[in-house]
Amino acid sequence: MPATEYQGSSTPFSSIGRSILSTRREQIHAMDAGHHHDAGLDQDLDAFQRRIAALFHDLSASAGDDLLSLAWVRKLLDTFLVCQEEFRVVLFNHRAAFGRPPLDRMIADFFERGVKALDVCNAIRDGVEQLRQWRKHLEIVLVALADPRKQRRGALGEGQLRRAQKALTDLTLLMLDEKDATGSVLSHRNRSFGRSSGSSSRDPHHYRRSSGGHFRSLSWSVSRSWSAARQLQAIGNNLAAPRGHEVVATGGLVVAVFTMSSVLLFVMWALVAAIPCQDRGLGIHLSIPRSYPWAAPILSLHERIVEESKKKERKNSSGLLKEIHRMEKCAHHLTELMDSIQFPVMEEKEAEVRQGVEELGRVCQSMDGGLDPLERQVREVFHRIVRSRTEGLDCLSRYPE
Amino acid sequence: MPCNDRFNPPPSLPAFPPPLYPYLPLLLSLRLSSLSFSSSSLLPIFLLHSGGGRPQTRERELMEKVESPLYQGKSKEENIDDSNRKFKQEEEDKEDQINQGREEEKPDKEATKEDDQGDNSQATHSDATSISADIDHFLSVAGSGRDGQNQSHHDPPEIPATAIERSVSLVEKEITRYESVAGDWSRKSDDLSLLDAIDRISKFSATLSTIFPSEAKYVKAKKRAGAVVQRAMSFLEEEFRSLLEDSISKPEPRSKISKCKKPNSLPRPNHNNGSPTSPETTSGSPETDPIYPPVVVEKLRKIAGVMIAAGYETECCQVFIITRRNAFNDSLTKIGFQKMSIDDIQKMQWESLEGKIAACIKAFKHSITNSFSYERELAGLVFSGHQAIASSLFSNLARGVIIQLLNFAEAVAMTKCSAEKLFKVLDMYEALRDMNAEEMDNLFTAELEGSSSLRTDLQSEISSVRSRLGKAAVAIFCDLESSIKADDSRIPVPSGAIHPLTRYVMNYLKYASEYKNTLEQVFQDHQKSVNKSSGNDTNSINNDSRNFSPFAMQFIEAMDLLDSNLEAKSKLYKDPALSYIFLMNNGRYIMKKIKGSSEIPELLGDSLIRKRSSDLRQYHKNYQREAWSKVLACFKDEGLQVKGNVSKQMVKERFKSFNAMFEEIHRRQSSWVVSDEQMQSELRVSVSAVIVPAYRSFLGRFRQYLSSHKHVKYGADDLENYIDELFSGNPSVGMKKRT
Repeated sequence: MPATEYQGSSTPFSSIGRSILSTRREQIHAMDAGHHHDAGLDQDLDAFQRRIAALFHDLSASAGDDLLSLAWVRKLLDTFLVCQEEFRVVLFNHRAAFGRPPLDRMIADFFERGVKALDVCNAIRDGVEQLRQWRKHLEIVLVALADPRKQRRGALGEGQLRRAQKALTDLTLLMLDEKDATGSVLSHRNRSFGRSSGSSSRDPHHYRRSSGGHFRSLSWSVSRSWSAARQLQAIGNNLAAPRGHEVVATGGLVVAVFTMSSVLLFVMWALVAAIPCQDRGLGIHLSIPRSYPWAAPILSLHERIVEESKKKERKNSSGLLKEIHRMEKCAHHLTELMDSIQFPVMEEKEAEVRQGVEELGRVCQSMDGGLDPLERQVREVFHRIVRSRTEGLDCLSRYPE
Repeated sequence: MPCNDRFNPPPSLPAFPPPLYPYLPLLLSLRLSSLSFSSSSLLPIFLLHSGGGRPQTRERELMEKVESPLYQGKSKEENIDDSNRKFKQEEEDKEDQINQGREEEKPDKEATKEDDQGDNSQATHSDATSISADIDHFLSVAGSGRDGQNQSHHDPPEIPATAIERSVSLVEKEITRYESVAGDWSRKSDDLSLLDAIDRISKFSATLSTIFPSEAKYVKAKKRAGAVVQRAMSFLEEEFRSLLEDSISKPEPRSKISKCKKPNSLPRPNHNNGSPTSPETTSGSPETDPIYPPVVVEKLRKIAGVMIAAGYETECCQVFIITRRNAFNDSLTKIGFQKMSIDDIQKMQWESLEGKIAACIKAFKHSITNSFSYERELAGLVFSGHQAIASSLFSNLARGVIIQLLNFAEAVAMTKCSAEKLFKVLDMYEALRDMNAEEMDNLFTAELEGSSSLRTDLQSEISSVRSRLGKAAVAIFCDLESSIKADDSRIPVPSGAIHPLTRYVMNYLKYASEYKNTLEQVFQDHQKSVNKSSGNDTNSINNDSRNFSPFAMQFIEAMDLLDSNLEAKSKLYKDPALSYIFLMNNGRYIMKKIKGSSEIPELLGDSLIRKRSSDLRQYHKNYQREAWSKVLACFKDEGLQVKGNVSKQMVKERFKSFNAMFEEIHRRQSSWVVSDEQMQSELRVSVSAVIVPAYRSFLGRFRQYLSSHKHVKYGADDLENYIDELFSGNPSVGMKKRT
């Protein structure tokens, strides 16, 4: 999957959104948003629901084997950005209604959820940085076991192997550390290719270091006590489908708010599922009635991701991202291979190692093109949430009636 | 440290018997050794090599290293109880489940032992030296062969396997000696010869692989050297980390640093890339970030050089970036900057958030003025000769820090608007504004083409957060209007004193005016964005603005609102005279605030200030009219004559009514407050100037008609004294007749 496929898509989509916004600006005065049952409002809301449904159907259909791959996650973010833009239009066109109770409270709730999502965005950005660091360790393995001249035979030396093994061990520790901060005992035992840890048990300073502790605290933006699981719960707090009378009282606008809140929650949840971040937890409950046209694709994606997380091989993973899985498999395979190597190295073994390294190279390649754009997209999501919130609050305070 | 506390070499390693530590000769310079050397096949190589000649400095350096005191205790350490060590080692091996590599090493080591025993008698000073020389020569010839055409007479010389083995073992042994405690070598030893030796082997190993990828006679040597190089790199990685983590300290005064420099101090690092300042310069700054002493920096530079040359760049950079990141984070924490989620910041009480903002601004400024330049310099020195690495390490670090601080600022900009936040928000805005393009240029100089997007990304992040802070500031300032409007209490301030709202608003405005330039900028930007988004042409707004800047207009608007609010509040007093005293008091207070500021007059302009002065004068006149016109009416001649004659009775009544009126005024107005002394005396003087002469003349004209002085309670001078008691805020205890 070429990583560039979705690269530019956020721009044209958003400009579509913007053009809708500007063309509709002219109609605003003509429109009386105060009447709840006017045809324009119904039309707008229908279009919004259909658009969201189409976007998620597309996302769900494109998943297939690609589900939770870097490319898919980026498509997910693009989808979110378009939804956000569509919602912005709805909000702007009916801002008068949003300034009145009970919608004013509902939209305030939505913005509140958005603020909480910002922390998730920051944690995910740290997670991407983490992936970059893992990638660096793989780089060491690639360099150590590199075979610049294919014809070279029997050159797999002990030093190279050891270096690769050390890098893989460090990588395993890193991934473990991410999963479980108390993994230090294990790490301590496993850390063997650097220096002996004979003196460490007596010396707390060295103990910390030998536990791979020096790799940690890469997280720039969230405090140590922050938890992605709790944050997701906070975003989803009190999020329930609107009741009939609420729908009537708001001319259906509350449905749009609920839709966007659900999209926000799902997208943040999927990000946390895919990307390593602090205290992940996927146990949120999506309460979306199936009657919404966008419910089916979102619920199906949700289900598939939960399934993925329950797979035995993925249970202890620090992120469900496909590339992480490939990385883990590859690293594991290589580690086992190298552990079993006896000197002198048999040609057969060496060929196996070379194969493993080639696969690892492919995994690395697949990450290389994707991480930077992913980080930018996460940032874009952050900015759009902030912007739409500021605009929204502005809009509501400026035109209360 | 007791020797048995260490992790000691496996007993299978060959023990070197000579009394002088055999590693030492390895380090001797080539020419020295070639003089004393007289043995078999290696001689021609040496002659060749010494002809090739190395820079003299190298020789001197090596000479100095020989003098290092470090090697003298070695043979003693070698004699530590072997069995004790062996036991320990076995235990360790059991523990180390993954450590199979070491087991595999053993056969090689056994072989080494045999070789060594074979040569044992020859393992002398000069022999070991020759090996390093051989290798150097080998490298130089191989290197030149690679550079130019591979001519046959430039083929690298052969080196006997035993010689290679010995040299490799020496390094391995030395590493084993130090590796049990991280940082042991780098902390204790100022001698970097081990580094040279590692470097030599690593180059040798690499060269063997490229030149003789499959030559049978080097297969074993290659494998052995490769393994030791790996171990050495692992060792260096830990030493590098240990140095970075532990050798940082508060800078000493400069004089001290130069004193404690060793006389045989290391050669200055090569400033290939023109970093003219050394870390010492940073130590001169008043802020005391811990720094690395130059000796340590030099060690780091050498280790990094060796690791990078051996292809261990990634390991080296990882250690560097992670240690520096953690250190930077620690220093941010020390300044008081705490990581907090955006969500938490929204929920935080202003009182606590205020402190965090101050800490964040401090951290930001400190980072930009001090820490960043140090970090850049450090990266430049440690990775000198690898400019690309240095600048990518630095910019990654700086990026992480800046993003962190921006996140905080962003979160603050998002908090609910409230008036008290204005100044902290403006402080943050200013801190970000000062991080302008020039500052960024300084920080990210020598950035590579590829990473220039990082700079642009950062810059756009900074400006977007800045503009959000600006918007927040505008919103907060405009919010002042609504809070002025919202103050509609129906209870008048007693005694016509200054209203708390006046104090609050004026102090706020005065404080705000101290941020005038920033607020001007913020409002200008805001207006631009409003114009842009609403598609308005700027003309309509310019017409309205009467040459006032957007901020000045907002400022004037706030003052106008205050004026009309006070106007409304003045109506709450039943006594119109007191209304005017209230207006005068407040007006005077506002005026004083205006005049006490150098910025507010600029904002308001002369004409508005003149108008205020004339308003004040008008209030004064109105007060006099409201309070004293009736009193003055008492002194009129009209109504005192009956049929052309002055009526005694009427005069008596006049005096009585004057007395009552005056007493009433005195009673009430002495409880009124005019806190401004000058205005208080102006008021009294002006009242006296009107009342006293009129009274005096009235007395002069009509006193004669009264038989007794009973009704003339006050002399003209008494009156003046009583008038001087007005506006003092003391409810009068009643008037005592002054005699």
